[in-house]
Amino acid sequence: MKLKQNLFNQFFVISVSAFILTNTALAETILPSGLEIAQQVNARNEGASVSRNLIMEMVDRRGKKRVRETRGFRKYYGEEKRTMIFYLQPKNVRKTAFLTYDYPQADDDQWLYLPAMRKVRRISSSDRGDYFLGTDFTYEDIKKESKVGIEDYHWKTVGEEAIDGHHSYVVEATPINDDVAQELGYSTVIYHVDSDIWMVRQSDHWDIRDNALKTINFRDIRLVQDIWSAHILEVNNHKTGHHTRFLFSDIDYSTEVTDGIFTQQSLRRGL
Amino acid sequence: MIFCSLSFSAWANETGTETIASYIEYSAVLETQWAYGVTKKSNQKLQFIYEPEINVELPNNHKLTVIGRLRGDIYDKLEPGSPSQAEISPMSRRGLIGNHTDMALREFYYEATVGETYLTLGKQQIVWGQADGLKLLDVVNPQDFREFILDDFSRSRIPLWTVNTEIPINDAMLQLIWMPDQTYHALPESNSLYAFHSPLLVPNVPPGVNVNLQPIDKPNNFFADADYGARLSQFVGGWDVTLNYLYHYNDNPVLFRHLTSGSEPAVTITPRYERSHLIGGTFSNALGDFVLRGEVGYSTDRYFMVKGIDDRNGVNKSDEFAYVFGLDWSGMTDTFFSAQLFQSNLINHHPELVRDKVDTTLTFLARRNFINDTLVAEVLLIHSTNNSDGLIRPKVSYEWHDNIKVWMGMDIFYGNQTGLFGQFAKNDRLVVGVIWGM
Repeated sequence: MKLKQNLFNQFFVISVSAFILTNTALAETILPSGLEIAQQVNARNEGASVSRNLIMEMVDRRGKKRVRETRGFRKYYGEEKRTMIFYLQPKNVRKTAFLTYDYPQADDDQWLYLPAMRKVRRISSSDRGDYFLGTDFTYEDIKKESKVGIEDYHWKTVGEEAIDGHHSYVVEATPINDDVAQELGYSTVIYHVDSDIWMVRQSDHWDIRDNALKTINFRDIRLVQDIWSAHILEVNNHKTGHHTRFLFSDIDYSTEVTDGIFTQQSLRRGL
Repeated sequence: MIFCSLSFSAWANETGTETIASYIEYSAVLETQWAYGVTKKSNQKLQFIYEPEINVELPNNHKLTVIGRLRGDIYDKLEPGSPSQAEISPMSRRGLIGNHTDMALREFYYEATVGETYLTLGKQQIVWGQADGLKLLDVVNPQDFREFILDDFSRSRIPLWTVNTEIPINDAMLQLIWMPDQTYHALPESNSLYAFHSPLLVPNVPPGVNVNLQPIDKPNNFFADADYGARLSQFVGGWDVTLNYLYHYNDNPVLFRHLTSGSEPAVTITPRYERSHLIGGTFSNALGDFVLRGEVGYSTDRYFMVKGIDDRNGVNKSDEFAYVFGLDWSGMTDTFFSAQLFQSNLINHHPELVRDKVDTTLTFLARRNFINDTLVAEVLLIHSTNNSDGLIRPKVSYEWHDNIKVWMGMDIFYGNQTGLFGQFAKNDRLVVGVIWGM
């Protein structure tokens, strides 16, 4: 199993490295810079607010599947973003809720409501490299959604390719220092950004020991109320064989999300 | 409840029966727990619990929640026979079905928004405070001690009939609560497995002296004896802070003692509940990998037992100042460490009191998640520095399927039998449980 994993790692690294080497010269001359692409990704309209249903499917290497049904809300307050996720099913996680205040220039504030304790707990925002409630997404992945952490990385365009038939720029992101790498749990991330709609279609992640860690695919990207929206997010963890699929539905950018959703009272009360 | 009935009938008239069903949600928890006393080599419990929950969505985002519980125990050692439930108000008592089974309406509340005010009316749990496993401000609801402090708090906490209002005031939230339900801690009777016998909790009676235990003198005026309180909470500058006030009957009865001398000396013990003002506050903030949290509370008119039997009434009154400081660390992936310091100081300490002026308890929790959070291993230590006794609780739980969790743990008491924890040193146990959500 270990040999298989090593071979996979080597194949993964060699493939991407070869791609990067052959495209670097081209990238430096005619393609937009990595930072420009990252800025374009983050400038893309996500709507002032959104509500949506989300089904999380988590499958281990033996094929055992766990399913979570949730409802999520997100709203921008200037540059500050607030996100709430309510767990609806199954019973053993029902009423669990997660609230984040994401600030542009400061550590985030995060709270978790655990129904077994009937208490809202403050969570350290530096846990952003931890996996989010058993999924293969980290807290940071959840927070960023389809955007990227510009301030956390050095950005470099390394080529272009087609992902799911769509022309994409390939951008290498390396953490700005070891502390950030440790926090995020990544030594390198390769983003594949659709050049037409400035959405990430795929990202490949390496852990801090430079082993291939996981690949995230953004699929079923469609316009919803004039906003490009991925309806399926899929993560394959190359180290554990575990994978997670997020299925979004009933995405609504037009109905106003009230401020009262993003409070500790709302965490406790649930939907 | 009138409010609820009116709202419900108006809604039902407007909505067809088939549509109503789509607004009613049923779920339930089935759980079985087996506990084996490893010191006494005997079973402590084989318990089955069924907890149905019904949620009804009503118009205007009003909600009705009903949670019940049916519980059976094959061994009947935790509450042998039929407990008197003397501490519980008639409207909150369990229904006893023989010696082995009971049923209870655990929670039954109606939630409504009226203007900016959020109302929760009915039987409910209200949790205050930031501490884990130790209660300083989390005293709004009393607790069932049938398993000392070993049962989950959400299950051992006794819900009360309460009017609970939450009113936004600018960026703050003011919570006002009124509890006319005169229900107090459910204390284990003397023949039960977790009956108290530490001198910290039970009066000292010399050998050969008869004990005359009087019925509990319990408040019974619906309005005059109601508890009430307020909490103002705000998120300010990265800190979650609250100010709390509770005017309540302390949930532990004061055991007033009267000694009759003569040819047949006797001690008369009269349990009575006493009023107390509790004022305090909480705070929490995340600082890097750490979360700092705490509670501070000042209680007036607390009563504490004295050692000697010559004292006039066996108790001494004092105010109490207490605090908990907790520090959580989660700097390593999937790993969580937490430590807490709890101290209680008596303002008017008497040298004859059974407890020390300063009482200190420490807790440590280490937890690690494995296999995408399906396997969780943890150990909790609660240690009293005054009595050098405590409790160690290792536990492993595994999410076998989406809705089925199995777990195994131990509850290990240590220390002198006179201590709060040491009194149960012979009750060490292995516990295995299966919980199924439906």
